[in-house]
Amino acid sequence: MRAVTLFTGSIVIAFAAWQFLSTMVFNPFLIPPPLVVLKTMVPMIQNGEIFRHVAISLARVAVGFVTGCAAAIVLGVILGRVRLVNDLLDPVIELLRYLSPTAMIPIAVIWFGIGETSKYFLIFWGTFFIVLINTTAGVMRAPVIRQRAAQCLGASELQIFLLVVIPSAAPYIVTGMRIAMASSFMSIIPAEILAADSGIGFLLQQSSILLQTNRIFVALLTICVIGFIFDRLFRIAVDRMLSRYMSYIALT
Amino acid sequence: MLAVRNVSKVFGTDAQRYLALDGIDFEVRSGELVCLLGPSGCGKSTLLNILAGFDRPSGGAVDFEGEPVRGAGKDRVMFFQDAGAALLPWLSAEENVRFALRVRKLPKAEWPAIIDKYLAMVGLAEHRHKFPAQLSGGMRQRLQIARALAVEPKVLLMDEPFAALDALTRRRMHGFLLDIWQRTGKTIVFVTHDIGEAVTLADRICVMSLGPGSRITETIDVGLPRPRDLSDPGAGHIFRRIESLLS
Repeated sequence: MRAVTLFTGSIVIAFAAWQFLSTMVFNPFLIPPPLVVLKTMVPMIQNGEIFRHVAISLARVAVGFVTGCAAAIVLGVILGRVRLVNDLLDPVIELLRYLSPTAMIPIAVIWFGIGETSKYFLIFWGTFFIVLINTTAGVMRAPVIRQRAAQCLGASELQIFLLVVIPSAAPYIVTGMRIAMASSFMSIIPAEILAADSGIGFLLQQSSILLQTNRIFVALLTICVIGFIFDRLFRIAVDRMLSRYMSYIALT
Repeated sequence: MLAVRNVSKVFGTDAQRYLALDGIDFEVRSGELVCLLGPSGCGKSTLLNILAGFDRPSGGAVDFEGEPVRGAGKDRVMFFQDAGAALLPWLSAEENVRFALRVRKLPKAEWPAIIDKYLAMVGLAEHRHKFPAQLSGGMRQRLQIARALAVEPKVLLMDEPFAALDALTRRRMHGFLLDIWQRTGKTIVFVTHDIGEAVTLADRICVMSLGPGSRITETIDVGLPRPRDLSDPGAGHIFRRIESLLS
């Protein structure tokens, strides 16, 4: 209850400060006050324009994120378990991970055009390395003692792997996914600004060309809200489904 | 039943070569409680890992019931100091025991009775639905004992299991372990650096020297009735003798 009150208070104060600063201190054209932004937003909600862009951006993030996570978890588990594969691939991964999705936009457009594929690829790219590195670390750090204890009890190699190592790595994998999701929401915007004809990033770009600062602010506000909502949803889903794997971190 | 013959262990090669164990020789009889006692870093845990089969000796051999030890065996269960790491923290007390029965491939119909029996034996019946993080340090160790006993091993290999507990809990765990040992007749090899703990528990104490090239310098038959009191002259005599051996 207290948390909700403080959260609401924080948002209300921020809006009040925004209203004051943009009308009294700065130029309201450059920084449109919240009431103007709201007034711009209402018709965009009513005619569904904003939802169309949001849905398109979300679909791109979803496809790239899910495929990126799946590929990264599979490869990460192998890297964490098979020393030779890790030694062979780790140097390459360490170099490639510095190529942010934004850096890959120009080549992605040449490879895949400005259609959906290039966006899927860019989100995949950003997700893949983050989840991969976390998964590998998690699998490598599964306590040796825990594996040996299971081995003594009679567990086979496969059982140790499935019932001990993977669950031990779960907190790392989930943390990686959460960071990757935040980064996906950030990298979809530049991808759409530079190479798209729809999506929130496109809305930003189009409004910028037309000097519609109020519409730019609607888009920015939407990004904030969407990112926040999905992070919360992710946390709730993890709490519901994986809490027993997540809550023991303090112990080890 | 457990025979250690001239076991040596070398780590590393060339300049980094380190001789940890050199000519370790002893036997553990069935149903016996033997303590391996030595200063920190003398290779006690290395030796225990070899007995468990996690590690191979560089020289010599370990025989269990006449057969050479090859890899970890289900008849020798290792028991770790860090119960938080050894247990599966995402499973409740009951589920941790069930995990052992599952990997041991015991018929499912027998599980509930076995789980009840061993949780009751270690006094955790009421805490069966709690997770390891919700249990105290002593309770976690008791859960580890229950999980080990549930698969009916012949030997318990214990690596300083109570070293991280407070003094009071440790004393209670000593009484508890002796009680379990007398009831189940298991063979126990117990590693410790605490002279008092060894004198309290052991039938025999193998005193190890500090490495490199650690060996068993003396084997002492304790031969005192239990429960033992360290302020008792007999126990005090053995305590001082080991103290002078280690200094």
